[in-house]
Amino acid sequence: MPASTNRQLAVRLAVGRALGRARDLDDVYSAALDTLAECLDVSRASVLLFDPDGVMRFKAWRNLSSEYRAAVQGHSPWSSDSLDAEPMLVSDVTREPSLEAYLPVFAREGIAALGFIPLVSLGRVIGKFMLYYAAPHTFEDEEVELIGVIAAAVAFAVERGRMQEGSRRSDSIPGYEPNASVIGPWEWEVSPDTSAEHHNGLPSGRLRQVRQCDIESDRDCLKIVGLDGRLLYVNPAGLAQLGVEDPRALLGRRWVELWEEKDREVVEDAIARAKAGTIGRFQRPTTTPAGVMKWWDVAVMPIVDADGAVVQLKAVSRDVSAQLRVEAFQAGQHQVLEMIATGAPLAQVLTLLVHVIEDQCDRMPCQVLLLDADGVHVRLGAAPSLPEEFSSRFDGQPLGPHVGACGIVMQTGRTVIVADIEREAQWPDLRDAALSIGLRACWSAPILSPKKKVLGSFAMFSSAARGPCREELRLLETAADLAGAAIDHHRSQEALRQSEERSRAILRAIPDWMFVHSEDGVYLDCHVKNPGALLVPPETFLGKSMRDILPPSLAEVFERAFERARASNEPERIEYSLDLQHERRFYEACIVRCDSDKLLSIVRDISDRKHAELDAAAQRQELAHLNRVLILAEQSGALAHELSQPLAAILANAQAARHLLDRTPLDLDELRETLDDVIKSDKRAGMVIHRLRELLKKSNAVLQPLDLNEVTREVLDLTHSDLLLRRMPITTALSPGIPPVLGDRVQLQQVILNLVINACDAMSNVEPAERELKLTTVADEECVQIAISDRGVGIPEGQLDTVFDPFVTHRPQGLGLGLAISRSIVVAHHGRIQAENNADRGATFRCFLPLASVVAGAVVGLESVVAMMPPG
Amino acid sequence: MADAGPLSLAVVDDDEAVRTALRRLLRAMGHDVRVFASAEECEADAPDVDCLIVDLRLPGLNGFELRERLRLRGSLIPIVFITGDGGPSPSDAAAHAGTPTVAKPFSESDLIAAITQAVSSDANVQ
Repeated sequence: MPASTNRQLAVRLAVGRALGRARDLDDVYSAALDTLAECLDVSRASVLLFDPDGVMRFKAWRNLSSEYRAAVQGHSPWSSDSLDAEPMLVSDVTREPSLEAYLPVFAREGIAALGFIPLVSLGRVIGKFMLYYAAPHTFEDEEVELIGVIAAAVAFAVERGRMQEGSRRSDSIPGYEPNASVIGPWEWEVSPDTSAEHHNGLPSGRLRQVRQCDIESDRDCLKIVGLDGRLLYVNPAGLAQLGVEDPRALLGRRWVELWEEKDREVVEDAIARAKAGTIGRFQRPTTTPAGVMKWWDVAVMPIVDADGAVVQLKAVSRDVSAQLRVEAFQAGQHQVLEMIATGAPLAQVLTLLVHVIEDQCDRMPCQVLLLDADGVHVRLGAAPSLPEEFSSRFDGQPLGPHVGACGIVMQTGRTVIVADIEREAQWPDLRDAALSIGLRACWSAPILSPKKKVLGSFAMFSSAARGPCREELRLLETAADLAGAAIDHHRSQEALRQSEERSRAILRAIPDWMFVHSEDGVYLDCHVKNPGALLVPPETFLGKSMRDILPPSLAEVFERAFERARASNEPERIEYSLDLQHERRFYEACIVRCDSDKLLSIVRDISDRKHAELDAAAQRQELAHLNRVLILAEQSGALAHELSQPLAAILANAQAARHLLDRTPLDLDELRETLDDVIKSDKRAGMVIHRLRELLKKSNAVLQPLDLNEVTREVLDLTHSDLLLRRMPITTALSPGIPPVLGDRVQLQQVILNLVINACDAMSNVEPAERELKLTTVADEECVQIAISDRGVGIPEGQLDTVFDPFVTHRPQGLGLGLAISRSIVVAHHGRIQAENNADRGATFRCFLPLASVVAGAVVGLESVVAMMPPG
Repeated sequence: MADAGPLSLAVVDDDEAVRTALRRLLRAMGHDVRVFASAEECEADAPDVDCLIVDLRLPGLNGFELRERLRLRGSLIPIVFITGDGGPSPSDAAAHAGTPTVAKPFSESDLIAAITQAVSSDANVQ
């Protein structure tokens, strides 16, 4: 849930509540200051308005000294009726040059930061509210947005309050207190002459004790009614409000007939009460002859003679339409905001909003259009009072002539007033459609997000060709503002919902298992599609610690990974295996921190891949062995020579020793030396047999740090006599002190052996004097390279890429496996092998093997974890 | 030949262990022995001995080539080849051309028999 949208709604509701309770302007100011304190946590604030002379004056304040107010009175960043005023937010008053003159005043008052927030109505500044801070203050974006929301609401309430104040001045008939619970009887001197002689409809001479001028100038509709219920008098304000020019159209008619049929009983009841000496009260609407519906708050009271007898009735009707409308509007706004906050569907919220606005403007139909996220297509948001065939024209259209004025609004982000649709030539189709349903004017305002992005438009349609009055324009802006809040909230909710939906879809789609753990390894939650494949079912492990569920060695591995993930905040990967029922399964776990205090482990069953890898490795080992056997078969002569040399030396020494024993005196030194040589040669023969056995053995790879120079020398020892016989002069350039690589000794020997044999074969038809076999080792920061270089025939053009493919050979006796196996061994060691032709002649094969320190984590990690698993 | 008296012999073998052991054995039997690590050393020195004992497999010139050179120079010095394995086949009569050959490891009697044969056949040739 986006916090900022929620907070905005909360503030809107709070402002609505506070301002809704306001009865007059002072209440409005007070509500504004309350809201600022409540929503922005600002305890020092003030409200100022431009007076008619254009001077900014304090209207209300909290925690400000009179000295301060006097010192800054009249200061304003904007003049009266400035256009497009923006808030001026001063994080530090000492850094704002335009306020330099006021620094001493600020210092005395303890003000270090300030906010000047313009109150804007219809685009013009009517006043401001001020926020004061005792310490430098950084205004966050969200805070600025909230300030904007509050300012708009306060400006609106101030304008409303001012209007009402203007229309309320007139409780001037003594004794009439619409809200008072007890109203005393009216003193009235009755003239015996009840016949005509009117002056302005007023029976002359009868109102001596009532202040005639007050009655005549009163803004309420005031009538004198005879006991027979007929109208005797209607004051000028009343005539105007009823839209009647000649009082004679009314006088003599029964008052009750002016009301709707269904309301007459209420009217009769009020008359009866007045006749009985009390006051009758009711609120009912009428439709004026001009067709305007008005709500009246009516008090009917008796007029008594000197003896206290009721002789006539006075009816005071106050037009409360505007007031009721304001209340209805505030209630409506509140309801809209409540609906937004409770997550009602957007269409419902917008429909309610349109109804609320339509109630405020004599049911002019309104329409909300939404702009798609693509910024091009338009959707119908709500238009409950427009014929569907008209409103549906807009739905799905791209911005352009088919969308009319609202399209311009959405393109420009500015309000557009079409005062006479008939004169619109730009979009004739739309014009004719509008005219055909009686629409003559269209006023449309942009709906903006808090970040001022266009979300849509709010349009009001008038049946008369005219522009909006101030009140209507303000209504339009308010409507657009509320629609913005609704759409923005809806969109953020929608985004959240989609994101959750996506997450759920991802969860449904992926086969991986997910476990949520507390920091100390307790299983909190899991997502597993196939619980049957787990070591134990979820109900067994949820709420338990890993240590109680997993084999201890594995729990330890996990705990260490958790520690690393916590410390680094990066995903941590481990591979492990478990023995389930009759098989060993392999897993890969990725562990990440989540929710700040939990860990999420995503576990994937990699058994298939792992088994395939193991199968491939086994196959590779088989082939490698075959390759070694073939090499040794080829080399059997050379190997026999390697063995026969020490054996010959042993036999010769032993027989020499026998001769030495026959001599007198015994030469013991010579004998000892002879026996030492026997031992030495025997060991030498033993070493040859040992190496042979190693090469012929089928064994699993044993990874260990190896000195590649040493491995190279071992190979050269083994091939020494063969190379000699074949007249292959060898040079070596082995870099001393190269770092170890991680590998299997026999396999790496095999690679070098293959490359050496390969190089010799390549030179077999070359003159012995021109032959050269060169072995070189070098190391860099990542790997050790061994290069085997010959001066043979080179690799035919176009075969550099295929030379490592199996069964590619140029040797009659070879199977073509040597290079292929060498490559597979090197790759299994995380290294690579490549072939290239030398510039002058021959070829060079290079193996790159990563340093033990580089691959240790990747390879040893798996080995050690697997090793820790209990045997199946 | 066991009673033929002391002979002067030369051993050509690149393997130090073999060279040393043969020198020790033949000296213990009462012969005078010189050793060379390669055919080139032996050729350069041109030792005047009763018999050359030459390893067939040598770095540089091999046993056959050494014999070839000696014969080309007119030397008829008797020669015995000793061989490990994997070298020219002892059954290759043309290559051996009547030169006695013993395969390592060999006993002293085998070696003496070969030397006797070489010396007497050379005498026959002469």
